[in-house]
Amino acid sequence: MKPGPDETATAEELRKRIAVQFGRSLHIRTLDTGSCAVCEQEIRLLTAPHYDLHRLGFFFTPAPRHADLLLVTGPMVRAFEVAARKTYEAMPGPKVVVATGACALGGVYQSDPFVYGEVDAVLPVDVWIPGCPPSPLALLQGLGVAVGRLAEKTPGLTFVADGDGDAT
Amino acid sequence: MPLWFARGLRRGVVTTKYPARSDPSAASLPTPPAFRPGQLTVRAVDRMIAECPGTALSRVADTLVFDVGSCTACGRCARVAPQAVTPSGEFELAATARSALIKTIPIRGEQR
Repeated sequence: MKPGPDETATAEELRKRIAVQFGRSLHIRTLDTGSCAVCEQEIRLLTAPHYDLHRLGFFFTPAPRHADLLLVTGPMVRAFEVAARKTYEAMPGPKVVVATGACALGGVYQSDPFVYGEVDAVLPVDVWIPGCPPSPLALLQGLGVAVGRLAEKTPGLTFVADGDGDAT
Repeated sequence: MPLWFARGLRRGVVTTKYPARSDPSAASLPTPPAFRPGQLTVRAVDRMIAECPGTALSRVADTLVFDVGSCTACGRCARVAPQAVTPSGEFELAATARSALIKTIPIRGEQR
C-alpha cells in the first residue's frame, strides 16, 4: 500500500483505500460555514449514548491535520472561503468531504449575495446528506455511505407515493 | 479464554451492526414528500412551487422536478395539495452524486 495523497484518485478508489488504510477507524472534522447550528446540534447528538458513533469506529477530532473526513454544514459564506480551503488543504489524503443539510446542498440560500449557496462551489464534495437538519440516523447512514460500508438507496427512490388511486 | 478477548484479537470484523435495532423515534421524523402523479395538476404544482420556501420544486412542461437535497421537509406543499402529497417516510437519503437526489415526477392529473 502506497502512502501519501493522490488528488486524482476517483471517489471509488478513495473509498477502497479508506477501507484498507483506516480499517474501521475514521476521524471527522466538522466545519461550520455559516449554518444555523441545528446541523451541529444533530452532529453532536451522534456522540450521545443513544446513537453512540464511536461503536462504528468514527471519532471527532478538533484538528484538520488529524481528520480523514470533513463534515461541512452551512451555505458556505463567502468570507469563509479561505478558511474552508485551508482546512481542506491541511487534511492528509485520502480525504472525503461530506456536505450536510439543505443549505450545504444548495437548497435554501441559492440567491443570497453573501454566500456561495452550496459547499460544492468551493470544496469537492463526495457525499451529500439531505435534511433540514439531517437526523442523527441520517448522518450515520451518510457516514456509512461515505466510507462504503452502507449502500446508498437514494437512486432507487422515486418519491412517487404507492397506491396512487386510493387517495382519501 | 474469555470471549471478549478472542473478539478483540480479530481484525476487520464488524462487531456492531448499523442500525443495532430499529429506532422508534424515526417514525415521527419529518420526511420529504412523496407525490401521487394521478392527483397532481399543473395548477396544483404551480401553487406548490410558489409555496415552497426553498428551491426544491420546479416544473418542466408536464413533469415536476423534485430536488430532495434542497427539501427541508417543511410540509407546505402537503398543506397546499393534501390529496396529492404524502410524507415519504424516507430520511436516510445520503448520496454520492448530487444528480441522484433530483427526481422527476410525471403530472398526470386532469385539468379542471
